[in-house]
Amino acid sequence: MRVSVLAAAAVVSVVGAGVAYAALPKDKALAIMHSRHEGMEKIGDTNKLLRRELTSSAPFAPAVKSGAATIFDLSKRASGWFPAGTGPEMGNTGAKPEIWQNQKDFQVKLRNFQAAAAAFNATAAAGDLNAAKARYSDLNGTCKACHDTYRMEMHH
Amino acid sequence: MQGVPRHLPDGDAPLTGKQPVWDLPVRLVHWTLAGLIAFSWWSVHNHHTDWHIWSGVAVLTLLIFRLLWGFFGSSTARWSGFIRGPGAVANYLRGGWYGVGHSPLAALSVIAMFLAVAVQVGLGLIAEDEDGIYTGPLAGLVRIETSDKARDFHELWFNVILGLIVLHVAAIIFYRLRGKRLTSRMITGKGDLDARAAPMRLGKWWVAVICLAIALGISRWVVAGAPPFGP
Repeated sequence: MRVSVLAAAAVVSVVGAGVAYAALPKDKALAIMHSRHEGMEKIGDTNKLLRRELTSSAPFAPAVKSGAATIFDLSKRASGWFPAGTGPEMGNTGAKPEIWQNQKDFQVKLRNFQAAAAAFNATAAAGDLNAAKARYSDLNGTCKACHDTYRMEMHH
Repeated sequence: MQGVPRHLPDGDAPLTGKQPVWDLPVRLVHWTLAGLIAFSWWSVHNHHTDWHIWSGVAVLTLLIFRLLWGFFGSSTARWSGFIRGPGAVANYLRGGWYGVGHSPLAALSVIAMFLAVAVQVGLGLIAEDEDGIYTGPLAGLVRIETSDKARDFHELWFNVILGLIVLHVAAIIFYRLRGKRLTSRMITGKGDLDARAAPMRLGKWWVAVICLAIALGISRWVVAGAPPFGP
């Protein structure tokens, strides 16, 4: 009984995803692109604050902690930021079409980012600044790895 | 200057055969700078922002070296040897100047280029990219908003440098059409001189080494993030 409910739920969600994939309405696509842009911008702004804290002679631990938590939270939301149909063909964006041409590679890079954000957040939450610096550097590597291939300049 | 026949700023004066005009440090700085500006442009447009930043640091080293060599180097490298007032520029345009090295008019171009590149390096040192992934070595000394503005100005200011490069190349073509080969002078260091011009006095090699050591030292300090190595 329970298994069949789960199976039914799985079928419904797969079908639902398929439908969403097939026809993402324009207003919905634009809304996702907007929150993606806002989210990425927030990650970038937080990253700038974190860099200044972590490279200063006396980093302020609470600022590192809250910045790490912000990026960790946004990194989880990033899973929903790149459905098919939200590329440059839909509107002004910094996301390159290659994202949807190399989905496998893109998803790996996205997961690497999410894992690095989680690891950084864990060290920052524990107040271990030395470990946080190392994990922050890893995190930056994952940003760079993805942006080098999949981000283009966005003209406002 | 009554009695002296008016002649064009160069080209038709009595010549003395190939004489030294530019020393090796001046030529090396010139061509390395040209190469680094091209490389900086290419690297930042091809996802090599890290190389772009190192290229900028190399340009900084060149500028510091050239600044010092302008005080302690060969006669044609010295600021005091070629920076002249508007009267001298007017005199040059009337054909009353003969000498070795930068003419009073060319000196204006040298100063403009030097200052424009210095401003560009200064902006780059405190800039950061839009995503906060790359920062200039001194970005930590200024506020985030300042770094972001510096990046925008850094991008715009490149057009000033581009304009000066266009002017520079146009001037070289203009002189070439009038029979004066400036490019080969900057490669070989030698050129035909007006017989009345005083010959170049060559700087000392060990002074160049000291200038370079100072330039490298200051650049290293900047790369470390300045003050006592960091903000």
